[in-house]
Amino acid sequence: MDKRLLAGLSMAGLLILGGCVALVWRPGIEPVPPPTAASFAPAEVARGQVLAAAGNCAVCHTSDPGHPYAGGVGFASSFGTIYSTNITPDAATGIGRWSQAAFTRAMHEGVARDGSHLFPAFPYDHFTKVSNGDLEALYAFLMTQTPVVATDRKNDLPFPLNIRALQAGWKLLYFRPGRYVPDSARSPSWNRGAYLGEGLAHCAACHSPRNALGAEDPRQAYGGAVVDGWIAPALTDANPSSQIWSEQELFAYLRSGVTDAHGSAVGPMSSVVHEGLSALPDGDIHAIAAYYADLSQGTARHVGNSAGIDRSIKTSDVGVGQVNDVDARLYVAACAACHYSSGPDPTAQRPDLALNSALRLDQPTNLIQVVLHGVGAAEGDPLVMMPGFAGALSDADITRLIAYLRRTRTGLPPWADVEPQVAMIRKARTQAP
Amino acid sequence: MKRFGPERSERSAGPSRRGFLIAASGVGIMLGFIPARLAVGAERPLSEPQALFEPTIWYAIDRQGRVAVNIIRAEMGQHVGTALARIIAEELEVDWDQVTINHVDSDPKWGLMVTGGSWSVWQNFPAMSRAGAAGRLALVAEGAKLLDVDPATCIARSGAVHAGTRAITYGEIVTRGDLRRTFSVEQLQAMPIKPAADRRLIGQDVAALDIPSKTDGTAVYGIDATVPGLVHARPKLPPTRNDSKVVSIDDNAARAVPGYIRSVALEDPSGTVPGWVMVFADSVTAAERATDLVKVVWTVGPSAKVSEKDIQDHAARLIADPKGGALVVDDPGLDAAFQAAGSTLERTYTTSSAMHFQMEPVNALAFEKDGLFEIHTGNQWQSLILPTLAKALGRPEATIILRTYLLGGGFGRRLNGDYAVPAALAAQTIGQPVKMVLTRADDMRFDSFRSPSVQTLRMAFDGGGLVTAMDHHAAAGWPTEVMVPGFMPKASNGVAYDPFAISGADHWYNVGAQRVRALSNDLANRSFRPGWLRSVGPGWTNWAVESFMDEAALAVGVDPLVFRLRMLDGTGRNAGSPPNAVGGAKRQAAVLAAVAQRAGWETALPAGSGLGIATTFGQERDMPTWVACVARVRVNRTTGDVVVERLTLVADAGTVVHPDGALAQMEGAALWGLSLALHEGSEFSNGQIRDTNLNSYTPLRMGDVPDLDIAFIPSEEVPTGLGEPATTVVGPAIGNAIFAATGARVRHLPIRPAAILAALASASPR
Amino acid sequence: MVSFQLNGRPVNVSAQPDTPLLWVIRDEIGLTGTKFGCGIGLCGACTVHVQGRAVRSCIVSVGSVSGAAVITIEGLDPDGKHPLQTAWIDRQVPQCGYCQSGQIMQAATLLQDFPDPTPDDITAVMNGNLCRCMAYIRIRAAILLAADMLRRGER
Ligand code: FES
Ligand code: FES
Repeated sequence: MDKRLLAGLSMAGLLILGGCVALVWRPGIEPVPPPTAASFAPAEVARGQVLAAAGNCAVCHTSDPGHPYAGGVGFASSFGTIYSTNITPDAATGIGRWSQAAFTRAMHEGVARDGSHLFPAFPYDHFTKVSNGDLEALYAFLMTQTPVVATDRKNDLPFPLNIRALQAGWKLLYFRPGRYVPDSARSPSWNRGAYLGEGLAHCAACHSPRNALGAEDPRQAYGGAVVDGWIAPALTDANPSSQIWSEQELFAYLRSGVTDAHGSAVGPMSSVVHEGLSALPDGDIHAIAAYYADLSQGTARHVGNSAGIDRSIKTSDVGVGQVNDVDARLYVAACAACHYSSGPDPTAQRPDLALNSALRLDQPTNLIQVVLHGVGAAEGDPLVMMPGFAGALSDADITRLIAYLRRTRTGLPPWADVEPQVAMIRKARTQAP
Repeated sequence: MKRFGPERSERSAGPSRRGFLIAASGVGIMLGFIPARLAVGAERPLSEPQALFEPTIWYAIDRQGRVAVNIIRAEMGQHVGTALARIIAEELEVDWDQVTINHVDSDPKWGLMVTGGSWSVWQNFPAMSRAGAAGRLALVAEGAKLLDVDPATCIARSGAVHAGTRAITYGEIVTRGDLRRTFSVEQLQAMPIKPAADRRLIGQDVAALDIPSKTDGTAVYGIDATVPGLVHARPKLPPTRNDSKVVSIDDNAARAVPGYIRSVALEDPSGTVPGWVMVFADSVTAAERATDLVKVVWTVGPSAKVSEKDIQDHAARLIADPKGGALVVDDPGLDAAFQAAGSTLERTYTTSSAMHFQMEPVNALAFEKDGLFEIHTGNQWQSLILPTLAKALGRPEATIILRTYLLGGGFGRRLNGDYAVPAALAAQTIGQPVKMVLTRADDMRFDSFRSPSVQTLRMAFDGGGLVTAMDHHAAAGWPTEVMVPGFMPKASNGVAYDPFAISGADHWYNVGAQRVRALSNDLANRSFRPGWLRSVGPGWTNWAVESFMDEAALAVGVDPLVFRLRMLDGTGRNAGSPPNAVGGAKRQAAVLAAVAQRAGWETALPAGSGLGIATTFGQERDMPTWVACVARVRVNRTTGDVVVERLTLVADAGTVVHPDGALAQMEGAALWGLSLALHEGSEFSNGQIRDTNLNSYTPLRMGDVPDLDIAFIPSEEVPTGLGEPATTVVGPAIGNAIFAATGARVRHLPIRPAAILAALASASPR
Repeated sequence: MVSFQLNGRPVNVSAQPDTPLLWVIRDEIGLTGTKFGCGIGLCGACTVHVQGRAVRSCIVSVGSVSGAAVITIEGLDPDGKHPLQTAWIDRQVPQCGYCQSGQIMQAATLLQDFPDPTPDDITAVMNGNLCRCMAYIRIRAAILLAADMLRRGER
């Protein structure tokens, strides 16, 4: 459907809803004098630091690495661009005068200190599950950061979407507040994983499809979605990877950013791993892995990887020897030096493309992203970087490379219309805010 | 065929007609040929030597006995310095670890400077040998004096003169003795040269002197040249190689690039780079990015719409017209033989445009300093470009100097030094040192690539299937006509022709009455700048000759090997003559027989596999390197894919000075032949070459390398060249092997799978 | 301003972060052993090591190696006597030599990953490094020799 039509319809819907619930008005919470750093116990601050990492706060709230948490990161959506806010304890421009209660209300209910509704780009629909105790620690951490003077950037939303009161209507429809309730039938580790993953880490925010009004669709939870020009793959049994995501695989991936059998965490997922989850202890990572392995029934489906790996080893040297195929020759020239591996086991340092998840998704998005822009030294495995070919190869050349890989490495049907997608993704990156 | 071209002019004033002088120098002695006061090139007089002693080729011996040899040849991977220095060291009787080499600048004192045609060793062998022998003679005489013995009782060995148990080193002789003397031309000619059996260096493997620096990053190529305060430049290339004119330049967008300086349309009185706009910036990257943003409007030349097909159609028309062209070989009785023939065969062969793709894109650093215009670049033919530079810059040649660097690949690209011109003009325009590095795409668009060609061959047989006449018409762009018309000899019908573009058609087979007609494809010459590409004409003429020989053998039902051997009987004009072609076609027959034996010509192969054979005389009839090849291929009849399983080559290049280097040249040249046969080939399209980088131009890579079996015929004859000959046999051997494997006859280079499938569809099953 | 380690020494360069590492190394730092061949990542002449692995510096921005360790041919071995360099001389590999820095740097990663390489291993990893002089047979032979030297602990 035409995106603009969709947006138009949603706007109309919003207006009506907004009209109905305009009365839903929230009071402001009085500003407080900024609490001193000494007023927080160091242990609490330290615990908050870990939680902030788990929530990946810094990634969304930092546009200038020299000024963490000062906000200003733009989030483009089909509705317009929303900018993250300054959450340093600066009294004038940050959250310095927010009380614990105001902070907790924002996290649990998506309402700012002054009573205005926050946009759901801020995933309060997940943070609502976080316990009060954890929010106290998080508050302690944020309030002890260096204050930065940075006025929040105005959102780039068209009227009437820029009317915050309308958010009340959205909440009425989609927002279910409430703390995480443990499932007593499950192990403590599973519950810990669920608490983190569903709550602070807000995995579904990227991995679940959203409806026309930008709300996660509960019927398709974790069904995979497009975020920031990347596909966040399904975390259910619909995940198309050649190898099952077992608990061990998930742990390895979330811990190190790369596994032999799936490839690297690249794009937005790289910062989740390296800037977020890296602060969590192994136990928490195991817990998250256990929860999602169960969600995809990976543990149950896991029967050993040998068949797929055998195939990958077999196809790893496609293009070795005398080749006439021009696409294979392009692969040989551009990719094989690093991607070739001779087995018997795959190795993350020589990522085996027959095992790579990006080749098996319904759309070539992630593969195009990586071919165009590479994998930075800080992404995925910190010892392996991949150069991007955006400045080197044309859309047509990248298209044939990608088609060649899909053809020879997966046995899946070819992707359609790759070239325009390459052009689009190339353009999106050059125009990024 | 008459001799012509660079080697003739060099010879006319070459070292063999000069006296030899030994003089004192600050640190030891210098030994070299006394310069001739004659013309060096056909048209270009040598400036008067300013000092008494400015030999064209010289070496020096210092007081430690170390020998430094000056090399005027460009080093581009053939280890030419090693080969030439070794010839001197051999006769001089010094150990190899005492020898160093020094690549010189383009000072006129060096005479004609060109490296190409696989000539270097062949041209210099006698002179360098005598130069070494003269030095030895002087050292022995002076050493004997210092030892107070009769020179006749002395021998020279390992950098010392020995008399019985006593010895004196060269270093000591240089320090203590007086070595100054002169040898006349006659004395030099009479200089005793070692018999082959006594050689200690020639024919042995020694380490090439240029190699270590090529493994640790210290070797300095043209692209590495630098000078303080230089500005970087990248050209904005016009839509056509010739005749484009700049109308306007809009650099508004480029100004946003940090480091961008400005854009200037070059005024080029030499006409080398018409329509070029030079974009200046403070770094390579800034220049590249700015150039992409500069918008230039041109009026374009008439070639803007010309395509490869137009050029080839034009060639076919030239061939169809019996008038025109140079009759390079024109035996009487040809027409009569065809009229009387029991049967005849006619076939047409074509080749695509092919690119140099030398690894180092062309580049040059230029600046004016102390009244001299210096151009630092890798170049194969300094003497060719100097006059053009003089015209472009509007200053005397004597005030321009080319400083030569290592070449990151030559393959004939850097015979044409046209890239020095825009760099020099840019430096002159901006009044600052300018370094111009072409991007690969620019390098390809500016390449003097190998012209596409069309050739039609005819053969007449008598009733018994014996060959009675052969007729060869070849049309292609002519590099020599475009770049050095003065080097074109005249054929018997008075028409000047490019010898390098037809060489190979004048083969050593006895075919009865023979005619070779060379046609200049003027449309090609106008549309781009045809270039010399490794082996030049023989790269296409032999594709035709050797494919045709196979087709002819088939037509008369004779084995292709036997068919060829019959005609390589070494009689008549193919008997050969000293010094270079002793033995003539008999030596070609010998390499052919040897390669057949080595490759198991008679062996039956599985279905889908086949052996193909080809032989040539390498590069030039006057300097033949006899070479033959058997290719073994496997063809996939469904996809048309060819796997070359093995190439067997046998060469007779006379004396092999540097066996390992010779082998390296044969390996490289054979693989070039394979690459041109299967993996390269481009297309001219709308006034430009189609392929501009490795995304679509796909030269041979390691995985494409077949088994290689290379052998040399032991010989004490004059050494000939090895840089190119092997390129000329591999293509036709592969084409013939494809036929043997499948019955599919391909007549176009490069051989693409689609062509094989098409040929299979029309072939009778075999 | 970007900082990284080059051949073991810290360097700060003023080039724009999106400048290809190749030109920073060659022109700003002045180490010219790393060569420019195609500029699009398909010839390998510009190969250097980033974090110990072969990477084509013509398509890597200097910004993306911020903080990383970069090694060029000049820094592969302090004396230019890495087993690969010794083997390259022993087998008289280079012709024009222009591709050889890149070949050697790529081969170093090859031997790190495949200490006992099969012919296929060598082909697959080295295929991306074009040698226009086509010294491939010798490159292959020298890699085998170097592997042998490394196994025997020479150096
Ligand atoms: S110059 Fe970098 S790969 Fe060719
Ligand atoms: S040695 Fe010349 S390109 Fe490799």
